[in-house]
Amino acid sequence: MSLSKKSTIIVENLRKKQMIESISAGKRLDERSLDETRPIEIELDVIKKASGSAWVKLGKTEVVAGIKVETGEPFEGLENSGALIITAEVLPIASPHIEPGPPDEETIELARVVDRGVRESEMLELSKLVLVPGKIVYTNFVDCSIINVDGNLFDATSYAVVAALASCKLPVFEIKDDKVVDTGRTQEPPITTIPVSVTTVKIGDYLLLDPNTEEEACMDARLTITTNSKGSIVAMQKGLKGYFTVDEVKSIADKAISKGEEIRAILKEVIHHGKKE
Amino acid sequence: MVQNRSLIDESGKRSDGRIIDELREIKIIVGIIKNADGSALIEFGKNKIIAAVYGPREVHPKHMALSDRCVVRCRYHMSPFSTDTRKSPAPSRRETEISKVIREALEPALMLEDYPRAAIDIFIEVLQADGGSRCAGITAASVALADAGINMRDMVSACAAGKVDDKIVIDINDTEDKEGGADMPVAYMPNLKKITLLQLDGELNSNEFKTCLEEAIRGCLKVFEIQRSSLIEKYFGDEKGLNE
Amino acid sequence: MQEIKRKYVIPGDIVAEGNLRPLVNVFRIGNSIVATRIGIAESNKDGAKVIPLSGIYFPRANDIVIGKILDHSSLSWSVDINSCFNAHLPAQDIFGRDFSPAHDDMGSQLSKGDVIVARIAIFDRTRDPILTIQDKDLGKIPTGELIKISPTRVPRLIGKRGSMIQIIEQASSTRITIGQNGIIVVSGKDKEGINLAINAIHIVEVEAHTSNLTQRIKQLLNVPESEIENDDTKRNHEINDTEMNDDKAISNKIDKEMGMMNSNGTK
Repeated sequence: MSLSKKSTIIVENLRKKQMIESISAGKRLDERSLDETRPIEIELDVIKKASGSAWVKLGKTEVVAGIKVETGEPFEGLENSGALIITAEVLPIASPHIEPGPPDEETIELARVVDRGVRESEMLELSKLVLVPGKIVYTNFVDCSIINVDGNLFDATSYAVVAALASCKLPVFEIKDDKVVDTGRTQEPPITTIPVSVTTVKIGDYLLLDPNTEEEACMDARLTITTNSKGSIVAMQKGLKGYFTVDEVKSIADKAISKGEEIRAILKEVIHHGKKE
Repeated sequence: MVQNRSLIDESGKRSDGRIIDELREIKIIVGIIKNADGSALIEFGKNKIIAAVYGPREVHPKHMALSDRCVVRCRYHMSPFSTDTRKSPAPSRRETEISKVIREALEPALMLEDYPRAAIDIFIEVLQADGGSRCAGITAASVALADAGINMRDMVSACAAGKVDDKIVIDINDTEDKEGGADMPVAYMPNLKKITLLQLDGELNSNEFKTCLEEAIRGCLKVFEIQRSSLIEKYFGDEKGLNE
Repeated sequence: MQEIKRKYVIPGDIVAEGNLRPLVNVFRIGNSIVATRIGIAESNKDGAKVIPLSGIYFPRANDIVIGKILDHSSLSWSVDINSCFNAHLPAQDIFGRDFSPAHDDMGSQLSKGDVIVARIAIFDRTRDPILTIQDKDLGKIPTGELIKISPTRVPRLIGKRGSMIQIIEQASSTRITIGQNGIIVVSGKDKEGINLAINAIHIVEVEAHTSNLTQRIKQLLNVPESEIENDDTKRNHEINDTEMNDDKAISNKIDKEMGMMNSNGTK
């Protein structure tokens, strides 16, 4: 069951007033323009025990993603394809407003939206990750730990997943005497495209990219759009109780494609230089 | 033919190249989590652990509050990618027990009576696990508590000692923990000279136990020096003027 | 002049040995006085103490704080005062003794998200602090830039008898309302002055423990040289300036300063 709930973060009214005044003059309280995203910093291979990993900073939002690869049975209906499982946890270290415990609906939505963007883009060619068709496949876990929250977890987590996947080295498993063995060798992951998630929020009648916590506390609606390397849209998710007009959605989509291109260039640059050995 | 591969070679070197009374490399960075009241990242060998402290703050739900002292909540948790085989994100029995012993290792140092009806939350996240993650977690949490400005009687420093190939060694690593004879984690208040955590698995005779305890405490004192310099660095930077 | 010994300490460090009086953020064990916080230890013949450099705000009666309205029940507002306890502002404080939840609309006076400057009327640790806004210059703050600093730096920001904050206010043509809880509202006519003041406040926050701070702030704000010489020549260590002595002394002093500052203001 999903309930509408009280906001946990209350922005001071005088601050909110300033924010609206500032946005209407084309500038945000942190000096960014409305369609400006925060600086992205990515450090790859931070978890040596993982097959691939990335520590992503999007402004003050920080996410660590790590990949673990096992073998297992394929999902029903997807007998000839490897499994990809993306999870996210907003750790209680990340903000004063997080209670330890099983993931709430927001965290589950987060993991699912990030998963959808990566899965629907077919970034990882899962059909190449099959050991015994219909029986044994590679099971790829990408687990995300959010360690500091300052808004836009959707995009930050997505960048962490994409950077970790694109830079990882998968283990090579083989079947010997009907048993799966880890050969100790590694292989390049079958990457086909770089999906990029771009989130836009609406505050009053204004559209802002990459919101921070304070802006999220004032937003009416949110739209996350993931595009692939060809510039096509592969996944979307609208959130919150506000709405968008048709024209707004069209302009958000155009922006997500052009901004996605810029961010893709940043991700590619980092991945190119920092692949796991 | 070698039955059990030796964990200490003829020249006295251990599996990771250390000698018996040498600690792994330790690095502590204070204030890594911007949202927290206090925090620290510790790299202790291959351990990579973040400790964050929130509080003293309001207790939720309110009936959990204690009228004469502060409530301490502690969570030790491992990220799924932190171990060799993936760990389920749900808390295990092991994590629950470690959360409890860590809380009890830190509480003696905290002046909880100064904050009646409030709560202090200590969250320890293991991003990469190696042997001795509870000791590294306690060490980082103590730094985070000091960074949060909570009244403390002393710091808490932690280090394990144990028995490997019938020798007492300091700071047991993962391999030695799994294959060695005994592992004894100790937490210690370095100025007050009091032990606040003591666990042991493995067999030690009376003499071995005493040596092991002394070695662990020696390790704690080395750890304390690193805790101290990380805090001084964060708060006073290069300004060493006053202490000269 | 009595010599004051200073050093940097972390919890557990010995501040001084001997028969000194333990003042604040220290405790006695045997013959030693030991620090309980990270900060600057000071000892002289009167006793030993630590001026802390980190920590949350712990409420004290008579402190002036800046808070945010969270909610209200039928009898009081709940106020976030950036501390380990939420404070309460009784409806009677605004509506008077004959307040009745049936006739008086609390929402018309203060609503969620409003910022107020208030005095802690009652706090004895057994219950949440009770606020009042019934003194001069207290009440709702309608506009201004809200900033947050570590509450441990507030005494340094105010300075001896308000010296530091007066320098900043005058040079930037702003009015600065300071809560002991580390919440500050800066208001003024032009954005440039406000930014200048905020910048100066952040420098005081980061460099609170360093020497010659007043001088550097004056330089930043372009306060003429002659005034610098008048002020600080005698002191090489300005931590002196802020007498962080006893709880009551500070809050009374700040009370006066707050009153003074506010009366300078343009309200």
